[in-house]
Amino acid sequence: MPCERKPIRYGHSEGHTDVCFDDEGRCIVTCGSDGDVRVWEGLDDDDPKSINVGEKAYAVALKSGKLVTAVSNNTVQIHTFPDGDPDGILTRFTTNANHVTFNFAGTRVAAGSSDFMVKVIEVMDSSQQKALRGHAAPVLSVAFDPTDEFLASSSCDGSVAVWSLENQTQVANWAVLQKSSDVSNAKSLCRLAWQPHSGQVLISVPVDTTIQLYERGSWTHVGTLSDDLLTQVVNVVVWSPCGKFLAMGSVGGDLAVWDIEAKLCIERQKHERGYTVCAMAWHPSGGQIAYTDTEGCLGLLDEVCVPSSASSSMQSSKLSTAASKESKDYDDLFDEDDGGVHVLDECVSDSRSPAKSAVMEDDDDLMPATSRPRNRGAFLDDDENSQDTASVKADGFVEEDGVGTVLSTAVPAVTRPAYDGPMPTPPQKAFQPGSTPGHLMHRFMVWNSVGIVRCYNDDQDNAIDVEFHNSAVHHAMHLTNTLEHRLADLSHEAVLLACEGTDEVASKLQCLHFSSWDTKKEWMVDLPKGEDIRAICLGQGWAAAATSSLFVRLFSIGGLQRELLSLPGPVICMAGHGEQLLIAYHRGTGFDGDQALGVQLLQLGRKKRQAIHGEPLPLSRKSYLVWMGFSAEGTPFCVDSEGIVRMLNRSLGNTWTPVCNIRESCKSRSDHYWVVGIHENPQQLRCIPCKGSRFPPTLPRPAVAILPFKLPLCHTSTEKGQMEEQYWRSVIFQNHFGFLSSSGYEVDEEKQKQMEKAQQELLMKMFALSCKLEREFHCMELAEMMTQSVVTLAIRYASRSRHMLLAQKLNELALEKASHLQEEEENEEEQEEEAAYCRTVQSVNPFSKGGRSPERPSLKAVSKESRVNPFKVSGAGRSTRSPAGQPRVANVLDTMTSRRPSLCSSIKQSKTAVLKPLAPKARSKTQATLLQMSAPKGAGKKQVENEVEKQTVQKLPATAGGGVESVRQKTGFQLWLEQNRKSILADRPDLEETEIIKEAMGRFRTLSADERLSWTERAKGMSGEVVDLKKRKRVDEEKKEVDVQLETNANDAKKRKPLDTSAKLSAFAFSKN
Amino acid sequence: MDPSEVEFLAEKETVKVIPNFSLDKIYLIGGDLGPFNPGLPVDVPVWLALNLKQRQKCRIVPPEWMDADKLEEIREQERKEDAFSPVPSCHYMELTKLLLNHAADDIPRADEIRTLVKDIWDTRIAKLRLSADRFVGQQEAHARLDNLTLMEINTTRDFLLDSLNSMHKLRANLQPGKSQDY
Repeated sequence: MPCERKPIRYGHSEGHTDVCFDDEGRCIVTCGSDGDVRVWEGLDDDDPKSINVGEKAYAVALKSGKLVTAVSNNTVQIHTFPDGDPDGILTRFTTNANHVTFNFAGTRVAAGSSDFMVKVIEVMDSSQQKALRGHAAPVLSVAFDPTDEFLASSSCDGSVAVWSLENQTQVANWAVLQKSSDVSNAKSLCRLAWQPHSGQVLISVPVDTTIQLYERGSWTHVGTLSDDLLTQVVNVVVWSPCGKFLAMGSVGGDLAVWDIEAKLCIERQKHERGYTVCAMAWHPSGGQIAYTDTEGCLGLLDEVCVPSSASSSMQSSKLSTAASKESKDYDDLFDEDDGGVHVLDECVSDSRSPAKSAVMEDDDDLMPATSRPRNRGAFLDDDENSQDTASVKADGFVEEDGVGTVLSTAVPAVTRPAYDGPMPTPPQKAFQPGSTPGHLMHRFMVWNSVGIVRCYNDDQDNAIDVEFHNSAVHHAMHLTNTLEHRLADLSHEAVLLACEGTDEVASKLQCLHFSSWDTKKEWMVDLPKGEDIRAICLGQGWAAAATSSLFVRLFSIGGLQRELLSLPGPVICMAGHGEQLLIAYHRGTGFDGDQALGVQLLQLGRKKRQAIHGEPLPLSRKSYLVWMGFSAEGTPFCVDSEGIVRMLNRSLGNTWTPVCNIRESCKSRSDHYWVVGIHENPQQLRCIPCKGSRFPPTLPRPAVAILPFKLPLCHTSTEKGQMEEQYWRSVIFQNHFGFLSSSGYEVDEEKQKQMEKAQQELLMKMFALSCKLEREFHCMELAEMMTQSVVTLAIRYASRSRHMLLAQKLNELALEKASHLQEEEENEEEQEEEAAYCRTVQSVNPFSKGGRSPERPSLKAVSKESRVNPFKVSGAGRSTRSPAGQPRVANVLDTMTSRRPSLCSSIKQSKTAVLKPLAPKARSKTQATLLQMSAPKGAGKKQVENEVEKQTVQKLPATAGGGVESVRQKTGFQLWLEQNRKSILADRPDLEETEIIKEAMGRFRTLSADERLSWTERAKGMSGEVVDLKKRKRVDEEKKEVDVQLETNANDAKKRKPLDTSAKLSAFAFSKN
Repeated sequence: MDPSEVEFLAEKETVKVIPNFSLDKIYLIGGDLGPFNPGLPVDVPVWLALNLKQRQKCRIVPPEWMDADKLEEIREQERKEDAFSPVPSCHYMELTKLLLNHAADDIPRADEIRTLVKDIWDTRIAKLRLSADRFVGQQEAHARLDNLTLMEINTTRDFLLDSLNSMHKLRANLQPGKSQDY
């Protein structure tokens, strides 16, 4: 009957391990190179009890409540079992012991050491020691004879010796092993064993791939156990408690059991991963073999050579009831009516007896169980240096803080063996941004954009050095650190220091207010007993300290106590900038390596408010916060241990946007960048490159490097992706202008304009790219992001590259934008004082960017001579405003009337859009016609006329103000043309639109000067009339459109011409007629 | 050419400094410098770096090659090979001298570096003398020397050229027939 191999599970860190059962066989006891002894209540135990015995444990033996271990400080120690309290040192060697073992009665311990010696010690009286000298190399293993008469030992010198314990002499010596210089070089651990409870006692010695058997007393070789399938060197042999079976484990992970009478190999198993088996132990009642390997894993062979099936089944049923009981306990704990779980439990416990389902159940349990310690290990090992162990110590504050109790009650619950859900993450400890771990002797207490605070804590010196980047702020300071300050912050006004309290001394906050103008440059505050400072920060005119009582205490920079507030969870870190205070704290328990952090942002200025109300702080999976602070411009940033830099995006509802992945810039996996500061303008991520560590040493003095930001957008290898990234980065990094101006700071408007200009340039480039790729919809979307003046460029670009449909759509867009603009302008006028977040307004405000469009590089593509305003097409005349700007409140009527018609006209345009592509020859004309193509027919005609008229009659004194584009006045010629159009058409029905105008032009010139003058007069009068009409009633849409145009013309005229009053008068006269 | 002139030329090399003051870009004929942000490394010419250092306005970040380990490697390389091996900077001697004289406190293991650079210099000058000797001895018309720095050339030029001139005169006198010309 084959035995059942349970899946192995992780028990210790890599390295040599040892295993044994307790006397009753209830627990498996293992030790490993991590220096822990673990007590497993069965293989499924997810929370083995750990007893730390030293730095490394080489061997463990357990009998009658005494746990004997051989550890790396060259001692053999006793601990009580199961409590694990140290119970003294049994013996010492000059180097470490390799193997310890009890005799069968448990009264003596034998230990073999690398100093060639074997010692036998009485457990009760460790002064009675017998040293067995004779080996010429490190002793590999020792074994007591069942009757306590002899002791066998194997050694690296190649010999196996049997000693008489009475006179401490060798009674037999077989040189059967391979020689080696050290245990680490030995091919086999050669764990030998005596056969128990048997008339004829045999010693089994693993030799190469075989097991040699020697008879007790005669010391003759009586047999060899070997198997063709066992090709690896045998490491361990152990006898079953009944003495009938011999189990062995090999270097290659083979596990075999022999029936000694039949000399037959009755079991053959292979280690799941083929690791070297370095220890084995039989269950005291037989039936199970526990084994461990050199990778720290623990395995179990169940139902091995069951001597009587009854006992084993009893065994397993006992186990199963225990397991099911536990799982039920666990369910009760949560007190949920989760029927499903109960049913599952019952199924499991019922189906436990069939071996197969038991295995499956085991599997289920083991999956998370094995993964958990590994995760935790990874979490801690991940850190090349001890930052993590320092800052993320397992239950740092759970132990100390009252708050932790909630968590700590949850912890035992979830570590029940049956629990396979997510595991809680040890909460991250509080830290100061820009500081290196506190356990270092020389460390940075803070490195920020103001300066550096270093702390020396060695034998000669306990001091703090304060150094300023800018020596103009203050000269460097050297302080003796008598109070043992652990925390520091530095601003342009003060140095803030804090120490934790001890039993006698209260936690203190010390402030060196060097910018004070009086003579007292220092103040200190004692916190109430039992309250420790966890994090501190400085702002402008205030200081803050977060304490273990979950308070945030605010002080004025001079030392007055100010506001006091409670935090919802233990603080992690704080940062201050100007009037802003940013606090990160634990929001709850994170699971599976994640931290659950919350963040608050407070404004402490005159108008105090909370900008972020304790929202979750996003971090990468399985990471923790490593830096948090403000950019020089005052935007909150945070950096997690995965190197993701996040920035608070105030324009997107205070969300956090990832702006950089520092790890991408690292050359190797173990390199890191240590962030010291962030600037948004210019975009700089200032950090210190650290080779092979997370933080820099204080000496040699590290130099700051600058990393660029890069949004993690897709396709950044393509041109499009790059430009998108640049654009959005620029947009995000421009947010601070809005924030600063809204909170009353000065803003470098020139830089802001530069940035906006760069953004628009990028948009235009993207537009051009999309045009080239024939992605017109893209173009449209891009144009929506552009400012009005750039849209005009886009329209030109589109029309020149013959994207007519696009150009037309863009026209509509331009119109819309214009009307929006108008609306906003009005709003602005209405509530001038409300200047909040004026960035968006400014960016589209034509007044602020007068004459900018001509500088655009893309403009070069457009011919300079063309004065044509693409907006003419719209017919709405809004765009006719000269870029130089028009006095804002020229006429109340203007703003009131002109908006709505334009909207109507734009709607109408979309309805009646007609595309009339023309040959791109004669430039000026083409331009005109091209641009009017989308206008409704009637209006279009007028446009054209208007256009041509302008080109030809431009030098008329009335429009001489020209040179500036878009002087568009309904002229006499136009009126004339309207009336005479039909006659022209009748004469020459075959004419094209442009030709009609030419023709008309010719005829108009033939008119007498008087006639022409009267037409112009009429034209002027008409515009006046329109204004008048407006006052009274609405005309139909078509008419309105004309009106608007005329009205604006009139406005222009008013502005430019000194005779506009007379024009107005004449208009009245006309209307009366 | 005077060695001080060579040193003057070397002062045009750039070096990183960490200023402790704040200053906008400065526009000079030789190019724009800055902006200077306290605590942020910035590239400046050596002459400015030294000037700032003397006024305690900055810390100098030693050039990458000015590192004892790297120089040791270079020294070994130089000793191993017969020909001149490439040097880390074409003004290594001048820069070492300037920086070590004025900013030794900013350079870790300054004394070692001084010795190493002197060793390298000595090795190279010895090689140069040797090759000059061979050149003269074999009465060659031309020779090729790679990887020499300006300072090294400068040390040997005056003497070598003068002596070659004198020898030429002497040899010209030795040749029969021509002696009558004088």
